[in-house]
Amino acid sequence: MNTQKVISGFFIILAMTLNFGFFYGDIDNFAHHSPYELFATIVVNFIATVLKLGDKTQLGSVLLATSLVADIQLIAASIVWGISLYVANNGITDSAQIIVSLSGGALMANIVSVILFMGDTLKSKR
Amino acid sequence: MHSSNILWIIIRRMRTPFIVIIVTFAITILGLVIIPGVDNQGHPYHMSFLDAFYFVTFMASTIGFGEIPYEFTYAQRLWVLFSIYIAVIGWFYAIGALVALIQDQKLISELHLAKFSRKIKSLKEPFVIILGYNNTTKELIRHLNEDGKRIVVIDKSQEKIEELELENFMPEVYALKANVNSPDTLKLAGITKRNCKATVTLFDNDFKNTKIALLVRLLNPKMNVIVKSSTKEQSEHLKNLGIKSSVNPFTLVAERFYLALASPNLWNLEMLLFQHKQYVKSYEEFPKGKYIICGYGIMGTVLKDALDKAKMESVFIDLKSSNHKLKKKSAIFGDSQDYKLLLEAGIKNAAAIIAATSDDLINLTILLTAKKINPDIYTIARENTNDDITIFNSAKIDRAYVIEEVVSEHVHRQISQPLADRFLKELYKQTDEWGLELSKTIRTTTGYNPELFEIRVVKSQAFALTDYLKNGGSVNLGLIARDLSDRSKRAKLIFLMVKNRKKEITLLPDDNYEVKVSDRFLIAATKEAKDNFELLVNNLNEFHYAITGKELKNWALKIFEKKES
Repeated sequence: MNTQKVISGFFIILAMTLNFGFFYGDIDNFAHHSPYELFATIVVNFIATVLKLGDKTQLGSVLLATSLVADIQLIAASIVWGISLYVANNGITDSAQIIVSLSGGALMANIVSVILFMGDTLKSKR
Repeated sequence: MHSSNILWIIIRRMRTPFIVIIVTFAITILGLVIIPGVDNQGHPYHMSFLDAFYFVTFMASTIGFGEIPYEFTYAQRLWVLFSIYIAVIGWFYAIGALVALIQDQKLISELHLAKFSRKIKSLKEPFVIILGYNNTTKELIRHLNEDGKRIVVIDKSQEKIEELELENFMPEVYALKANVNSPDTLKLAGITKRNCKATVTLFDNDFKNTKIALLVRLLNPKMNVIVKSSTKEQSEHLKNLGIKSSVNPFTLVAERFYLALASPNLWNLEMLLFQHKQYVKSYEEFPKGKYIICGYGIMGTVLKDALDKAKMESVFIDLKSSNHKLKKKSAIFGDSQDYKLLLEAGIKNAAAIIAATSDDLINLTILLTAKKINPDIYTIARENTNDDITIFNSAKIDRAYVIEEVVSEHVHRQISQPLADRFLKELYKQTDEWGLELSKTIRTTTGYNPELFEIRVVKSQAFALTDYLKNGGSVNLGLIARDLSDRSKRAKLIFLMVKNRKKEITLLPDDNYEVKVSDRFLIAATKEAKDNFELLVNNLNEFHYAITGKELKNWALKIFEKKES
């Protein structure tokens, strides 16, 4: 068993599952989308990104790219949230669709990341 | 390639600190959001993620703006207390890792490498790569730098590189600490660049030199490699490998020594023109008679050959510096046994003594002992390193051959003054009378310390002259050898040699020689005459004056004159 694989696999898959958990539900009903879940998604995504740093291979670079895409989408979602809540003062419901669809984009990136990760693992002989 | 290496080191080292920061921030933020607080009116509330992130950010960096948005409850304070310890420690750990990274030797050397490689890439002028920074190359670098040549130096010792950087060369000499016999290093130094004109390797170790020379030839077959070799066999070996420029200091010394014995006038001329450290104030000659050579090494052998060729009587004292040191347990020559050795060799009636061992102190003491026995004896020393030059000077040795200097002078000439190098070769073929005649002419026109310089009739070096010739003008040498303050006088310069477009050589061209475009001239002149000549061939006004005797008028003055008449 490769400890490093366990750790990075754990975070990469956790990032995807959390992301899905936040994304799932009615797109304009905010009761279905917990802010805690978004927070957890962001944190786990960050950790996954850092874990992917430092892999010089071609696959490593693409994995890192997918993580960076997810990070950017999630940060954008949280910024939209913060702005609509505190700066624009028009309530969260108006921006709910934007936030959820941004996290949906991030979910796509995370799925690609997991597929690549699985492919790499299956290819490995050890 | 190297800039990504730098990024790499940073990423590798910062992975753990990044994770520590992410985790500590996540824990503390989450805690703050979950724990309920009380607002101004006493209503319960939950901190938003924005507030929590803001609070943790300034708390972790110990800026501490206070409790926001409302004063904390005790439950919150307890959590913050815990948070301070984990977040602040995490933060400091990350900062510490970053600071350590900046001071990391590996990173610093990578940064140096990247900077060096950038500089070489942007170098557009012709340049020379010199491998190893030692006494020999130090001299060479100084000379080449004075000529404005661009130089790249590689040495494996950091100390040497720092020493070089302290020298403050202008234009900058690029230095790199690296292993000289690795292909990567040589490539980095620009060995495959088209404007790299020569590579110089002058290590004491012949084997190392050959290895590097081979490597350079393989990386760039057109490269002019200048290699030091200490034996004839080595030079031949290098020639077989296709390396034309090998420098053998001992052959150089022997050639010069033979010249001094066989044609003293040519020898004096050579010293006059090429300004060796102990240049002659007046005519100097080696004495005729018996020569004693101490030290039967490479140097001793070649000197013996030179003496035989000049039909001079010579006696050998077999003395090896390392054996001598071992036997006597000192690096000094001159006990009673040594006295006997000299007396047996016939020092009383010898004309000159040569100390040619590879140890400077032994050489010096041999000569001092010899002088004690025979005060009139002419003393010749082999001086291995430049460092000892003051000792030798104060010991009043008649003539010292500094091996390091012979090499650096020769290489400098090859790189920077190809015409002078060629002239020297021609000089060795001439008769003694020719030498006497030329020395006289030089001494009467330029004095004892003429400057030697080369000029090529092209726009970049002789603008006015080239311009005139290209427009169909014809000029002979007598016309441009004028004194600018008074045209009727001849400037204090002598044309030693000209090499034309077809690479034909004319020694001492006379005043009727017709100048052609892309001729190269080797000129000996006083400092003043050199400046004068360079001005004359470049400045249109001065050139016009020199060939016509009239001032060139510009268009404004012409209009003015027309109106007056």
